[in-house]
Amino acid sequence: MEKSGSMDSLGSKQSSSRHPSVDSLSSSERSAQVKPSSAMLSETATSAEFSPDIRVKAKIHAKQVLRDSDKEEPQLLPNEIVQDMAQDITYFCPFTGAVRGILTVSNYRLFFKCMDREPSFVLDLPLGVVSRVEKIGSASSRGDVSYGLVCKDMRNLRFAHKQLDDTLRKSIFEVLMKFAFPVSNGLQIFAFQYGQVFPENGWKVYDAVSEYKRQGIPNESWRITKVNDHYELCDTYPSTMAVPVNIPDEELKRIAAFRAKGRIPVLSWIHPESQATVTRCSQPMVGVNGKRSKEDEKYLQAIMDANAQSHKLFIFDARPSVNAAANKMKGGGYESEDAYQNAELVFLDIHNIHVMRESLRKLKDIVYPNIEDSHWLSNLESTHWLEHIKLILAGALRIADKVESGKTSVVVHCSDGWDRTAQLTSLAMLMLDAYYRTIRGFQVLLEKEWLSFGHRFQLRIGHGDKNHTDADRSPVFIQFVDCVWQLTRQFPAAFEFNEYFLVTILDHLYSCLFGTFLCNSEQQRVKEEIPKRTVSLWSYINSQLEEFTNPLYVNFSNHVLFPVVSLRHLELWVGYYIRWNPRMRPQEPVHQRHKELLAKRAELQKRVDELQREVTNRSASSSSERAGSPTRSITPVQTFV
Amino acid sequence: MFSVKPMKPTFKSYLPPVQSDVKKTIEPPIKKLEPKLLPGEIVVNEANFVRKCISVESSQDDLWGKLICTNFKVSFIPQDAPSKPTVAEMMKLNPIVVDRVTRSASCSVAQKFQLSHLLLGEHDIPLTCLEHVVTVNDTKGKKKVLGSNQKLKFNPTELILYCKDLRIIRFCFDEAGPESAKKVCLAIAHYSHPADLHLLFGFEYQGRRYHESKAERLNTPVRRGGLQTPIFDRRSEWDREIKRTGASEWRVCSINELYNISSSLPEYIVVPVSLADQDLKQYSIFLTGNRLPLWCWNHRNGSALVRMASVCDPVQQRKIEQRIITAITKSHPQCSEVFISDLDKCLPSIQDIQSSFVKIRQICVIDPFEESEERWLSSIENSRWLEYVRAFLKHASEMVYHLDGRNVSVILQEEEDRDLNCVVSSLVQLMVDPHYRSLVGFQGLVQKEWVMAGHRFLDRCNHLKKNDKEESPLFVLFLDGVWQMMNQYPAAFEFTEAYLTVLSDSMWIPLFSTFLFSSPKQRAQYLMDFARNKAIPQGEDPIVYFPPVWDWSQQFSAKDQTLFNNPMYVGKGAAYVLNGEVKSFRRTKKYGSAYRGASATLRNGLKGGEDPLSRRGSLGSELKAEFSPMKYVVESPSERFFREWFSRPADQQGLLLPQLTPSHMALWKLYFLRWVPEACISKGGSITAYHKLSQLVDEIEILQNHLRQYKAPTPSGTPLPSPKGPPADQRRMYFQAASPNDSPPEFLSSSFPFTPVGNLCRRSIHGTPISKFLNGARIWLSTETLANDSL
Repeated sequence: MEKSGSMDSLGSKQSSSRHPSVDSLSSSERSAQVKPSSAMLSETATSAEFSPDIRVKAKIHAKQVLRDSDKEEPQLLPNEIVQDMAQDITYFCPFTGAVRGILTVSNYRLFFKCMDREPSFVLDLPLGVVSRVEKIGSASSRGDVSYGLVCKDMRNLRFAHKQLDDTLRKSIFEVLMKFAFPVSNGLQIFAFQYGQVFPENGWKVYDAVSEYKRQGIPNESWRITKVNDHYELCDTYPSTMAVPVNIPDEELKRIAAFRAKGRIPVLSWIHPESQATVTRCSQPMVGVNGKRSKEDEKYLQAIMDANAQSHKLFIFDARPSVNAAANKMKGGGYESEDAYQNAELVFLDIHNIHVMRESLRKLKDIVYPNIEDSHWLSNLESTHWLEHIKLILAGALRIADKVESGKTSVVVHCSDGWDRTAQLTSLAMLMLDAYYRTIRGFQVLLEKEWLSFGHRFQLRIGHGDKNHTDADRSPVFIQFVDCVWQLTRQFPAAFEFNEYFLVTILDHLYSCLFGTFLCNSEQQRVKEEIPKRTVSLWSYINSQLEEFTNPLYVNFSNHVLFPVVSLRHLELWVGYYIRWNPRMRPQEPVHQRHKELLAKRAELQKRVDELQREVTNRSASSSSERAGSPTRSITPVQTFV
Repeated sequence: MFSVKPMKPTFKSYLPPVQSDVKKTIEPPIKKLEPKLLPGEIVVNEANFVRKCISVESSQDDLWGKLICTNFKVSFIPQDAPSKPTVAEMMKLNPIVVDRVTRSASCSVAQKFQLSHLLLGEHDIPLTCLEHVVTVNDTKGKKKVLGSNQKLKFNPTELILYCKDLRIIRFCFDEAGPESAKKVCLAIAHYSHPADLHLLFGFEYQGRRYHESKAERLNTPVRRGGLQTPIFDRRSEWDREIKRTGASEWRVCSINELYNISSSLPEYIVVPVSLADQDLKQYSIFLTGNRLPLWCWNHRNGSALVRMASVCDPVQQRKIEQRIITAITKSHPQCSEVFISDLDKCLPSIQDIQSSFVKIRQICVIDPFEESEERWLSSIENSRWLEYVRAFLKHASEMVYHLDGRNVSVILQEEEDRDLNCVVSSLVQLMVDPHYRSLVGFQGLVQKEWVMAGHRFLDRCNHLKKNDKEESPLFVLFLDGVWQMMNQYPAAFEFTEAYLTVLSDSMWIPLFSTFLFSSPKQRAQYLMDFARNKAIPQGEDPIVYFPPVWDWSQQFSAKDQTLFNNPMYVGKGAAYVLNGEVKSFRRTKKYGSAYRGASATLRNGLKGGEDPLSRRGSLGSELKAEFSPMKYVVESPSERFFREWFSRPADQQGLLLPQLTPSHMALWKLYFLRWVPEACISKGGSITAYHKLSQLVDEIEILQNHLRQYKAPTPSGTPLPSPKGPPADQRRMYFQAASPNDSPPEFLSSSFPFTPVGNLCRRSIHGTPISKFLNGARIWLSTETLANDSL
């Protein structure tokens, strides 16, 4: 068995020195080499910089480490190194049966290829999607050793190989385990080695100051505070935040003491007309004794006062009321309406990360590998997945409705304010603000509401960590993307991005190819120099926007989306959850047809223009004596994109 | 005075009691409210000061006016005649939207975009469309479903009309005289139960219409009323179908002329050339209903689709069947075997289908919205409707396998050959022959496999409300099957789901010859008698004096009919192929192929050495080989046929098979939910995509029009083409190319082109405390430990 890369040569700190293939890529510098985000704040970059003219067709002449003669090997990415290769591996495909082939493991991927078949069978996945590797049973009578891979992307894989004669030799699956869980094995996540250069630098997509500026902040009621510049007020919050003007930084510190993990209420979004706001925070530390904080009460009053349109404030607690009450035992709780006058507290009944994890597990059970012919709908119902989706969307709809129709400011929190709260604020903002429905706007939304406000991606996904039973893991973000997909189904022309965009984001949530979803907070990302040392997913996406664009997109200004949050309109996202099933051929895409029609129109337009020119020239040369210029009637046909 | 006491629960009411606050002094101005009547239509009863309920929550948006019963319809004429939805009504539809609607002040725009019926007003319901006429006295807590000639022992305070098109309309009589209220209710009940077929209003209306429009017809005489849809009542139309499909071993046989052999078969039928008339006559005696085998369609490969009834004489059964099979075998170029499928054995019965439909209707439109929300998925499953639709599609796909994959002829056998066979044979033909996916082709298919094949529309629709046991929505089931195909292949059909829905609604308008009769003979007889009674000259074409539904100009303006056109259609005549220079229909190289079995050289949908930017993150490649041959899994030939078909890109103008995994069967929302206000997505739904596509296709057609004008030999001096394109009434698309500054289409909703306004409203989601709306949530979470919530 050939080994192209010795594992011993792989040190976790070598990434910068191991560039041979990258250096040959192009003369340009790694676009990912930018200053850490704290430094970016001083830059004046606005989102307008990223206008579509940047959309240069990317031409990267990466000479891959691919040897044409050796087709069993995958096409490797920059700095990807094959770690092990094994012949005679059996893959038990749940759909087509067992296939025998060659398995390759690199520091990034698992690659299985069976050449005996026509067309040849290929399995190619990033090791990041692997949640667990298990040896199944002991060696069978035929001397086979079997391994099961449970993946984070709704599939399980099963392989087998012959019992090795040399018991001292490591099985390829042991190698695989090492590289699938680099964090547990003291290795580096592949994103730190991947050196691909893209024409656009995705780390520049989001700049907090520019985004607040877009929203009109600072204004007479809201200011940008630097109190968290060094993450001292709250280590899970961003360094740049918007707070009411009349609350000085000193007071913010006292409020932080009263909010779980110091996550004080800060601005997420402000309505351009009514000035009604969406603010987010964690639960108040009320405790069993009903502790109060004058500063916190004053602060919420200030949030309310910042909106002259309404004399009320809605506090949306994402949790079921019983859960919120139970939190008092641990010092947490919720705002009492006695303490917070003019505030109305509403519980949104959304369940916690454990419930969601369990629900998705049940869903996987019924969709992978096969769907039973009978009881599909009741089986789906019993997973409660769509009901959770409904509760989240219903909560976001209530928030959007209060802000848009009620012109009332809202405060959103759950327990810590980084899971359900992120889901709710970002979905409400998608409904309220058409900017977030563009491709770049959606990236800004994720960077802001999820990444900068400390959704704990590392813990929830468990990048490179073998501890698959970790109770901190939960599909909160997947659930959010599912909700977004539901919105795109109800409003097919309201989003600039397509389904593939959402699937790509979820694929790279796990792949560990890009740095975007690494770490738990902005502070950690700064410390790890993520923007400097890794490539952003947005670099990849924004360098080929066409792939991700919804051709049906119509940018209607001021179009607030009010989805129908009913199971009648909620569907299972078949294109994501059931995509491994070969029976799930995607529906004939409407978008595809639209693209063809666009091409057709462009071609016709060209021909009409040509003919018009021809006619104009002809009549100009032949009949100069005729009165009245014929060109007057040749108004170009108006077409609108 | 009627509505003060709470309702006693003597019956299950889906409505909360009427609010007493309606007693605000209403002094309706005495104004003449005249109904719009059709030729031959007369008012039989009416009541004044009737309130049409718009919303359950409050009565402030209700309409006051006159309730009228004619010999054709129930009509409501509102006092202040906003004949189209007002802002107030739209508020009820979705309170959240109102703010924006009023702000943009575009509600007046909304009106002109509603589909308007030429024969029926917004508040009109044809009597044949009434399913149940229910009278209620809410003070006494009484309810009665009224039939014909019945007595009513209480004064009704409310009238609820449950309609066959799934609408539910409610009228209140709190200000109407008790006697006149009672009378109008009884009249509606009575006239919706006609004693005889010829009392249906179509027999009155079409006679008048024929004579009144005589002059027009004389000026512009057109063959068959200008109808392009083949009716299959003539030899020539069958001949053409034989030629079109290349069925050279089949012939048109006329032994059933004047319905001499069978009353349920058309006069001309297609039979194997090897069978002589004499043989056929002999066989017919032994077949149920004397129904000879009926040729439906021929595959290019020579295999035929045939439908037949069962042999009723058990002694003769084997012999007769054998002879028929032999003849069909002889008509096959390879003389290959014949596959017989007994549909009675493997598909749900008409009673199963009816009870399933009753259940799904209950869930979708009758049960209170929030109540059915709780267990929506399992309720839909329990109704079995989707399961049945799937069963028919699945069976049809299997027949396609025999015809196309095995190249053998197929006989669909059903005891009477008049119900299940209609569904399966027409679904098979939709899958195998793109001709039937065009509008005219589809209408011809319905003529051939339903109308002329003797589907008992009269009984299955229960127009006379005589025998509920015979009622069964087979045609709706078929339309749902078509919709499932359309949902999976949106570019393959020339028509839209709005067309299918309008077609289903037309079943309940008794003015067209299509859905009124149970057999071709009955149709012929009734129309002959009708012609005689109405002094219509002998030899006049029935299509002219009693037109089928396919003459859509009877119901809709040319503009409204463009809603039937699918802008995505890839077919003959579509924008797509009008000039041969456009690339062939293909998938985008990445998005499409990565989800399908792609060629061997593709890896992640990426060819070796290709630009690495297009690499799709290296995911999703397991699919590459899913359809490759397998060693271990035992695969039947039909499984192999389907697997191979699904591994290739679908040709919109070729064979199309539906995907039948349960997760692919969807609820036909436009049909089932269009009247449900709470389910209406404002400014959303698939119509918004249709809107965008229509505009684009309209632009393309304008450009094509230009090119044609340029290419036409223009003598110098002729004016150049105008930039406006063809006149608006000749445009094929409903939504026309617009300027980008046009205001967003406020009128679009998932119910478009219908509006749920004025249909029985229940409490909306937004008006209900969310805790109530979602109160089911807690029950299934009992196992959850609360302490865990600290995360």
